[in-house]
Amino acid sequence: MSALPRLSTIFLAAITTLVAVLLYSPLFVPIVSSFFTISHGSVDWSAPTLSTYVALAENHDILVALRTTLIVGVCTVILSVVSGTLLALYYHGRRSGRSVLQFIIFLPFLMPPIISGLALLIFFREIGLERSLLTVVIGHTVFVLAIVYRTVLMRLQSMSRTLVEASYDLGATGWQTFWRIILPNLSSAMVGGAILAFALSFDETMITILVTGTQSTLPVRLWAMMRLGFSPDINALVALILMFTVLLCVLAARFLIPRQVATERT
Amino acid sequence: MNQNTDLLTLRSVSKSYGTVPVLHDIDLSIRDGEFLTVLGPSGSGKTTVLRLIGGLEPLTSGEIHLDGQDISRMPINRRPFNTVFQDYALFPHLTVSGNVGYGLSVRHIQRKEIARRVAEALDLVQLGSFARRFPAQLSGGQRQRVALARALICQPRLILLDEPLAALDLELRRQMQIFLKSIQREIKTTFLFVTHDQEEAIGMADRICVMEAGHIRQLGTPHDLYYRPNCEFVARFFGENNLVAGKLGAVQGELRSIETTLGRLVCSISDQPHLKAAADGASAYAAFRPEALHLADAKDTDNRFSGTISDMAFAGSSSVATIAAGPDNAAQRLRLRVPSRVDGSALKSGETVSLSFAPHEGHLVLA
Repeated sequence: MSALPRLSTIFLAAITTLVAVLLYSPLFVPIVSSFFTISHGSVDWSAPTLSTYVALAENHDILVALRTTLIVGVCTVILSVVSGTLLALYYHGRRSGRSVLQFIIFLPFLMPPIISGLALLIFFREIGLERSLLTVVIGHTVFVLAIVYRTVLMRLQSMSRTLVEASYDLGATGWQTFWRIILPNLSSAMVGGAILAFALSFDETMITILVTGTQSTLPVRLWAMMRLGFSPDINALVALILMFTVLLCVLAARFLIPRQVATERT
Repeated sequence: MNQNTDLLTLRSVSKSYGTVPVLHDIDLSIRDGEFLTVLGPSGSGKTTVLRLIGGLEPLTSGEIHLDGQDISRMPINRRPFNTVFQDYALFPHLTVSGNVGYGLSVRHIQRKEIARRVAEALDLVQLGSFARRFPAQLSGGQRQRVALARALICQPRLILLDEPLAALDLELRRQMQIFLKSIQREIKTTFLFVTHDQEEAIGMADRICVMEAGHIRQLGTPHDLYYRPNCEFVARFFGENNLVAGKLGAVQGELRSIETTLGRLVCSISDQPHLKAAADGASAYAAFRPEALHLADAKDTDNRFSGTISDMAFAGSSSVATIAAGPDNAAQRLRLRVPSRVDGSALKSGETVSLSFAPHEGHLVLA
């Protein structure tokens, strides 16, 4: 890269900065403006305040929606981690049928959410399942399963086969090998997958709108608030969700990227 | 621990992966307490032999006997053998002592007893102070010793080692060779050691089993293999050698002549009845080591021929001359090894010299 002339390096840097600012600065506008009040339709920049956050905390509907979101998220994580891990374990090392299974698991993740949501809605109606939090959890699990499955399968594939062989060789049974060798080596991938699954469930809107009953999750609540008009506590809510999602992603990365352990030499 | 009783016997063992055969009718006996090395180039089936004995792979046909009992169908976790894997296969989430104690804890042995035996095993491999480290915090040589301690704590009848030194650098590998050999003497357990490195095999083994293309080519002591190779493959694979093709001639007691491009050569056939029995005129090779070849003097009457030195290479403790010999001093390439001297060798590139080797240092190999 050092071969690039100085002028073109400056030019590239300028372009990069411009693109970054244009694309990502809108993300920071709500965060910044959440600390200011709005009066007569424009932001009052003179006095920073936490009043929008106070208003948010006093909004009963928001708090209920937050609780709903957390319940859905936790249930989705439990369901998707258990089933995703089982699927990964079952299909690891098998050649036949794996690509078909992967395709089916990835389909809801890649399809437009409105299609997945509609398909689920029609399915629930056909089998006579009332729309409720249960249908939301099922919808979210179908959506995030691909992430957990893929994360666990990748870890399984990077695990040396000889670890399992060594366990048997040392006299362990299949059950002992699973609990004492395989599962501990998958645990960080499972935690990472769980965090990603939770982040996806936390933000999911389209499928949720279609399959939920009377209760709404946080993003759905936000959507409803937007339709009524722009209010300052929306800024605060967007800022909080944004920060929370970033936090989850950083956490997930910590579990999924292998730690570098310095090897000592003596 | 009688070195003359057989611990383990392979009887016409074959193995195929799908339709690809990798082992053909192997017969092999491992003696109780010996250090047996299985040596071969990659793809020779040596690792497969180890995996079949360890129970990591099922046999295609044949039987494996332990103390006379057929164990071919015995599951891997019930065989009294333990393996040191090429990549060590240490459990990354367990400490050194967790790794070493694993084989005992899965057998539900009491914690106190496990702790005592782990300490003992770590002392044996000189890693007593590393018990609480994780494998990622150890060097290659240390990991290797943990893998060894983990295998020998189960007091197996046989320890299987799958190229355990391949990942180490040269100096560490030499240290580990001596270390492994001394541990084997101390605990008096049978070692089956797989390697592709013939120097390693010579240095460590009581006996060596040379494999090629799924067959055992020769089984014997390092000395036997070096000086009495029974086929062209072993003669060429095992150390540097000069092989000269020819037709067998008359037997004279413990010697037999062979007609070659270098003229009539006389070689030893002692303790090799198949060479005595071979027909006159049969195709064979005269084999003699580079260190057996020397400049001829007046006393040398047998095995005398001339050659031109085409190259001299200094290789530290010794120097190697490449020599063109045979008709017109061109047809046959030979190597001659002499101890190096500070004031240079008497041999000069381009010189034509008269060479010889003693009949008892030459050997015959049927083609």
